[in-house]
Amino acid sequence: MTRRSFKRALGIFWWVTLLFLYAPLLVVMFYSFNSINSSARWGGFSLRWYRQLAGNEVIIAAIGNTLVLAIVSSLIAVAIGALTGYGLYRHRARRLGLLIALVYLPIVMPDIVFGIADMTFFVGINRLTGLLSPGLATMVIAHVTFQIPFVALLVYSRLVGLDATLFDAAKDLYASPAQRALHFLLPTLRPALLSAFFLSFTLSVDDFVISFFTAGPESATLPIYIWGAIRRGVSPEINAIATLMIAAVALVAVISLALGRHRGRA
Amino acid sequence: MPDTATDVAAARQQGDTARRASSIGLKGIRKEYPGGVVALESVDLQIGAGEFFTLLGPSGCGKTTLLRILAGLDEPSAGSLTIGGVAVTETPPHKRSVNTVFQSYALFPHLSVRDNIAFGLKMRGVAGAERDTRVKRIADFIQLGELVERRVDQLSGGQRQRIALARALVCEPDVLLLDEPLSALDAGLRRKLQVELLRTQQRLGMTFVFVTHDQEEAMVMSDRIAVLNDGVIQQIGTPQQVYERPVNLFVARFMGHDNIFAVSARHERRITTPIGELTGERPCHGAHVLIRPETIELSAPESEGVEPGKPLNRLFCRVEERFYRGNNVEYRLALEEGGTGATLIAEISNCGERLFRVGDRVRAEIYPEDVVALGDEGSTS
Amino acid sequence: MSSADPVWRRRRHRETRHLLLSVLPGALWIFVFLVLPSLYLMSVAFMTNGGYGQPQLPLTLDAFRNLAGFGFLGWSPGNLYTLLRSLWQALLSLALVILVAYPIAWYIALCRAPLRPLMLLAVVVPSWTNQVIRAFGWMNLLAPGTPLSELAVRVGLVAPNLGLFPSSFAVTLGLVYNFLPFMVLPLYAAFEKLDHARIEAARDLYAGPLRAFFVAVLPQTLAGLLAGSVLVAIPAFGMYVIPELLGGGRSQMLGNLVAQQFGQAANWPLGAAGALLMLLATLVGLVILRRLGRRLGGDDMVI
Repeated sequence: MTRRSFKRALGIFWWVTLLFLYAPLLVVMFYSFNSINSSARWGGFSLRWYRQLAGNEVIIAAIGNTLVLAIVSSLIAVAIGALTGYGLYRHRARRLGLLIALVYLPIVMPDIVFGIADMTFFVGINRLTGLLSPGLATMVIAHVTFQIPFVALLVYSRLVGLDATLFDAAKDLYASPAQRALHFLLPTLRPALLSAFFLSFTLSVDDFVISFFTAGPESATLPIYIWGAIRRGVSPEINAIATLMIAAVALVAVISLALGRHRGRA
Repeated sequence: MPDTATDVAAARQQGDTARRASSIGLKGIRKEYPGGVVALESVDLQIGAGEFFTLLGPSGCGKTTLLRILAGLDEPSAGSLTIGGVAVTETPPHKRSVNTVFQSYALFPHLSVRDNIAFGLKMRGVAGAERDTRVKRIADFIQLGELVERRVDQLSGGQRQRIALARALVCEPDVLLLDEPLSALDAGLRRKLQVELLRTQQRLGMTFVFVTHDQEEAMVMSDRIAVLNDGVIQQIGTPQQVYERPVNLFVARFMGHDNIFAVSARHERRITTPIGELTGERPCHGAHVLIRPETIELSAPESEGVEPGKPLNRLFCRVEERFYRGNNVEYRLALEEGGTGATLIAEISNCGERLFRVGDRVRAEIYPEDVVALGDEGSTS
Repeated sequence: MSSADPVWRRRRHRETRHLLLSVLPGALWIFVFLVLPSLYLMSVAFMTNGGYGQPQLPLTLDAFRNLAGFGFLGWSPGNLYTLLRSLWQALLSLALVILVAYPIAWYIALCRAPLRPLMLLAVVVPSWTNQVIRAFGWMNLLAPGTPLSELAVRVGLVAPNLGLFPSSFAVTLGLVYNFLPFMVLPLYAAFEKLDHARIEAARDLYAGPLRAFFVAVLPQTLAGLLAGSVLVAIPAFGMYVIPELLGGGRSQMLGNLVAQQFGQAANWPLGAAGALLMLLATLVGLVILRRLGRRLGGDDMVI
């Protein structure tokens, strides 16, 4: 086989794989505009499932919960995680193995163990103190826990990529510790903090398992609603919500990419 | 605090050279890192106001550590430091009237060139209008032209270097520290900026402490040079002193490694070396002697001596190799008699006279005062 | 002298305080809301199941015996089958993921440099969608009556009136789909650094294409392959959503078994014992990954 035909074969395989990767998403989007209740037959274009969505208060509430959860948890995670990332960078010369392992833990922990551990913990705390009954608060806590490492990692890698003498230069040019944070560190980290926020947001919206186990009766998010709807029996309404979520994620991705490109130029 | 109302340009116009300059005093400065690595061993040093002072040495000799201690970026483990007669050993860097031009330039990527230059003034609380005038003045002074309007990532290495210099100078520090500021540039640009930097210093009369590992650069620029090795100052002196009268083997080798010979026997001013018996100016105590290649004079063996009356070391040699360099010619000479196979290197400036050819017999003449006795490695003045 | 040196002591103090102030909030958060809960969960695995799933003293190893299949009614193979199925599904999907990801990563590395980030993005983007939705998409594609299922019926792969979903085939497919990017990324990193001169040298020395592959290509990508394998196999072993949605009752995996014990089955200690097993598997995976990272000279940041 010549090199060229080898590459051509790989190229065909690439397009087939792309089809494999996008087919399930395209199918969902496609049938969300189907006028009949079927995921096997096409009955003509219609927006009826979207209209049905708009009238469904449970779904509206779920969208609200999803957004509140994602935004609140991302904000907290960015604040705490950025501090962690900075601390790990500042003291990287020290032996911080255990600390780093701790920060990595949420990433490597299997979702289901993570969710169940938090659930049992919150139930226990609730029984002892009456605090932390399952709901948005417990979900925010759990989400922040898995968002922190990603934020810390982003901030850390941004700092490591920086010329270390910039810190010296700021000191040398009469910046006090507070001024260094305000006029050097924050502006330098701004792109990283922005991507950290978007990443946290996406992670939060994408999560199902951990949300599922830490949610309360009133705090169902969209993924939890979809899960329930699927288990009750497939309704084309789900296609419509799922399409909206895919669009939202794509939008966030485009925004953060555009930000990244802008950063590349600036 | 220096008088902030005075600006660099005004100082130049008034020819007021001593105003901004401060002397520096280091006493028993020692730096030891945790784990026992000693970067500096008890350094004593006086740098005069308005001096262009260079710390010269190979990488890892402690010169950058010393500079960082001056800047306040590192704390000494022991010893004291004064700038302008004021003790500043414990003063944090942002409270010292000292600025640094970093090797990597360390320009803030999130700021424009203008904001980079204005950064120090802003941190010191200089008001916006005055900041602008001072930035403009320094930009004129360093002839930055339209560079001020550019973004940092649009600058070339030489331009970055000048912005970094402007950013440090605009603060009008008592002392300017320069950490190998030219080492990232190519040779041609480097020579141009050496001259520029030197002129800037001369016009401002500011105290410059310059760190480099390039002995040629150090000699071109400095009023005085301190040669460092292994955290110890080997020699302090003018470029001429350090080059022509190195005190020990390390300094001699670092400043140019040709023609260093071990002394195998000595009697008063007579010494025995691998190139034969030589007469020095004074009784020699060191274990080595140095003969700088350009102090050697060559002539045809049958011609008249240079100054027949003077005591002169005369060695008869044969030209083994010749390297023509345009402005000078290097000959590698093998001793005809009295030597033990050692090679003597002579560098003759090219005045258009007839060159010797490989295989020619020549007579090398060395003045006794050009036979420099060297102390042992590590021994200092 | 350094430890007795007052400058150093003062400095160390200051630095330690700084370290605590900066890292403590995050570390404490993770410790309180993940480490403590996990420790509690682990301790539950050693407790007795009291009536409604609530763990009670005394401490016992009943949960582990339970997990191995010993119940009130003697030994039954159900749980053991679930464990074996988890293992089988993880390994099968790993093998398939490698088969798909290897050529893909190679192809991306062969393409022009400006295209590569976009191609990687194209591989990763689907995984940004919620995994419930992705599984739902496969349900739509594989359900009885859909073109794919009809095709399978016609070829004789499934009985008439049945679909490709729910089935353990659908679970495997879902796992491959879910974990493909986890393998493509480390493999691509390896292919990007591929030394092409070695392939040419092998060809030059009369190696056939296959021989050249095993001598010059595979060894250079082994590190990425192994790292990717850990990243795929370990999470696949504990997968919950995909078997739950695509598998139907007979394709249960460990994750489902665990989740059930905290729901209808109401046996927290048994569930906790299963979770403990998953944690152990994760730990083994991490140790392997670290070893690899160190031995193959890569950075520790693979995780």
